[in-house]
Amino acid sequence: MITVKTKQNIQPMHSTRSLRMKNTAIGWSFIAIATVLICLFYFYPMVQALIMSMQSGTGTNLTFVGLDNYARLLQDPTFLTTVKNTVIYLIIQVPIMIILALFISVLLNDKTLKLKGVFRTAIFLPCVTSLVAYSVIFKYLFGQDGIINIFLLKLSIISEPIQWLTDPFWAKVAIIVAITWRWTGYNMIFYLSALQNIDHSIYEAAKMDGASPFQIFFKITIPLLKPIILFTSITSTIGTLQLFDEVMNITQGGPGNATITISQYIYNLSFKYTPDFGYAATVSYAIVIMIVIFSIFQFKVAGDKNA
Amino acid sequence: MKKVLALFLVSILFLAACSSGSSKDTSGETKDSNEITVWAWDPNFNIKAMNLAKDAYKSDNPDLEIKIIENAQDDIIQKLNTSLSSGTTKGLPNIVLIEDYRAQSFLQAYPDMFHELTGTFNSDDFAQYKIAPTSVDGKNYGLPFDTGVSGLYVRTDYLEQAGYTVEDLQNMDWKKYIEIGKKVKEATGKHMLTQDPNDLGLIRMMIQSAGSWYLKDDGKTPNLAGNEALKVAFETYKEILDADLVKPISDWSQFLAGFNSGDVATVPTGNWITPSIKAEASQAGKWAVVAHPRLPGVPESVNASNLGGSSWYVLNVPGKEDAADFLAKTFGSNVEFYQTINKEIGAIGTFKPAADGEAYQAGDDFFGGQKIIADFAAWTEQIPQINYGLHTYAIEDILAVEAQNYIKGKDLDKALEDAQKQAEAQVK
Repeated sequence: MITVKTKQNIQPMHSTRSLRMKNTAIGWSFIAIATVLICLFYFYPMVQALIMSMQSGTGTNLTFVGLDNYARLLQDPTFLTTVKNTVIYLIIQVPIMIILALFISVLLNDKTLKLKGVFRTAIFLPCVTSLVAYSVIFKYLFGQDGIINIFLLKLSIISEPIQWLTDPFWAKVAIIVAITWRWTGYNMIFYLSALQNIDHSIYEAAKMDGASPFQIFFKITIPLLKPIILFTSITSTIGTLQLFDEVMNITQGGPGNATITISQYIYNLSFKYTPDFGYAATVSYAIVIMIVIFSIFQFKVAGDKNA
Repeated sequence: MKKVLALFLVSILFLAACSSGSSKDTSGETKDSNEITVWAWDPNFNIKAMNLAKDAYKSDNPDLEIKIIENAQDDIIQKLNTSLSSGTTKGLPNIVLIEDYRAQSFLQAYPDMFHELTGTFNSDDFAQYKIAPTSVDGKNYGLPFDTGVSGLYVRTDYLEQAGYTVEDLQNMDWKKYIEIGKKVKEATGKHMLTQDPNDLGLIRMMIQSAGSWYLKDDGKTPNLAGNEALKVAFETYKEILDADLVKPISDWSQFLAGFNSGDVATVPTGNWITPSIKAEASQAGKWAVVAHPRLPGVPESVNASNLGGSSWYVLNVPGKEDAADFLAKTFGSNVEFYQTINKEIGAIGTFKPAADGEAYQAGDDFFGGQKIIADFAAWTEQIPQINYGLHTYAIEDILAVEAQNYIKGKDLDKALEDAQKQAEAQVK
C-alpha cells in the first residue's frame, strides 16, 4: 500500500515539474533573442569601452594605464570647462524649456481655442527638422551680419552688432536659444497628452469651489503632471549632457572653448587631435556616471518612487 | 534554470567569437588588382588635380582603373581613424590625401598601415619643408602635393586711397602692416582683415615664418612657454585687434564673403585662396599679392610662410604597388602634368623642376599682370622647414583659450605658461 501510495504521489509531482521546466524553457526562448542581442550590442561594447577607458596611447598603440586616465580627467582643464559649460546649459536651458513647454501646452489645451491643430503643428515642427540643418540656419541667423543683428540694429535696440558667435557670453546665449527652439515642442507634446488624460470633472469641481485659474494651474495641473514633468526633465537632462550637433555646427565649441560640450570633447579627442581613444572612452564614462547621478537626484527631489 | 542561463552565456560567447572571427576574414579579402581608389576633398582643387593625373597616367597605362571619390576632409579623417583603429582595412582607399599638420599623427598612430614610398620618387625634387611632415625616421610615406605657401593678398585701390603703393608693402613686417592698416581704415573705413577667434591660422603663419612651431623639433614636446616667436606673434595679434583692424567672422563662408564683398583690404593666407579671390570677377585688376609680412624684432623671421597644404599617402592594402606607381609617374615626376594642373586650376605643387615651365612664368591679369605663380614658387623655397609633429590641433585648442584670456588682459607670459602646462598634460 505504502509503496503504491508513494508511487502515486511521485508520478504527478514529476510531471508538474517537467511541465514547469518546459514552460520556463519556452519563456526563456522567447526572450532569448532579445537577451542575446542586448548582451551583444549593449553590454559587450560597454565592457569593452570600460576596458578601453583604462588604456592610453595614440591610435592603435594603446597600453594599459589603469586608473591614470580617470586621474587625468579630474585635472584636465578642458574637461572641467566642458563640464562647466554643460552644467550652465543644463541649469539655464532645461528649466526655461520645461516652463515654456508647460505654459504652451496649457494654452493649447484650452477647449475654446480655435485652429488648435495649426498651432500644435507649428510648435512641434522644429522637432522634425534635422539637427544639422537647423544648426546651420541658426548660425546664419546669429551671424555678424545675420538677420537678428540687422533686425536689432534697424530697430535701434542696439547700436553695434552683437558678436553672437565670437563672444564667449553671447555664444552661450545663442546655443541656449537654439536648443530651446528645437526641443520645446517635443516636451510640449508629452504635457499635452498628459493634460488630456486629466479628468475634466476635476477642473469643473475646482471652478465650482471658486478656484482662480492660477490656483487651478498650480494646485491641480502641476501636481497631476508631476510624473511627466519628472520624465521630461530627466530626458532633457540626459539630452543636454549629450549635446553635440548644435555646438559643433554653430560655434564649433568656440570662441576658445566657451561653448564646448563633453560630447564634442570626446569627438575632438578621437578625431580632431591625434586619436587617443582610451582617454575618449574615459570621458564617455564620465558622462555615464553623471547621467546616473543626475537621474537619481531628480527622482529623489521629485520624491515619487512610482513615477 | 542555471543550465539554461549557462547555455545563453555560451551562445553569447559563441556569437561574439563568430563576429570577431568573420571580420578578420573579410579584411584579408583581396581587391580587384586592376582598380585603385582615391579619397580627397575640395572638388575645385584636389579632385580636379587627381582627375588630370588620372588622364595623364591613362595614356601609358590603360589597364589600371582609378576611382576618385570626393569626401569632406573631416569625413576622411573620421573614416580613416575608425577603420584603422579597428584593424580592418576593408573599404579603405588605396590613396588618400592628408593635411600636413595631421600627417604625423596618422603615421605614428597607425604604423604599418601606410605603404612606404621611399625610392619611388626623388625627395630632393620637392620643397624641403614638405619632407619632414611626410616622413617618419627618414622614410618617406607621403608624396608632397600642394604648397600652402602664404602671401598677403591686398586691394591696390584701397591702398591708393590711403596713399600707399604695392611697393610700400613688399617685404614689410607686421608693425608696418598695422601702421598701414590704420591709415587704410581712416581713408576707406574698411577693416584690414577677417579673423575667426577659433582659428589661429594667422599665428601659425607668423611663427612658421620664424621657423618655430607649437612643438619642439622632436614633434612631441610642447614649445609654448618661452617661445619668443610665439610671444611676438601673440603680441602682434593683439595689436592688430586693438587697432580695430579686424572684422570678426565665425566660419569659412563669412571668410570668403569678407573679401568678395570688398569689406576687407587684405587677406593674409595660403595661395590656395587664389581661385576664391578670382571668383569675384568685378574686382579684377584691383588685387596684388605681396610677400608675407615677417615678425618684428625676430631675426629668424623671413618674408615667407605656409598655411595648410597636403600630401598623398598610399595605404597598406592590396593594390599598393599600382597606387605607388601611379603617384610616382604623375605627381612624383611629371613636369608636363604640373604645367597642366597649374594652367587648369592654378595649383602650385611643391615639385621644384616644374617651376621653370611656361605656365609658372605667366602673368595673371586679375592681379594686374603680376606673375603670382612665379612669386609664390620663389617664396616656397624660403619657407623655413619645421616638424609639425603630432599635436598641432590639440595645442591650438588650448592656445585659443589662452589667446582669449590674453586679449581680455591676462599677462602673456602667464598665459603661455598655463598653455604649456595644459599642453604637457594633454599630449604626454
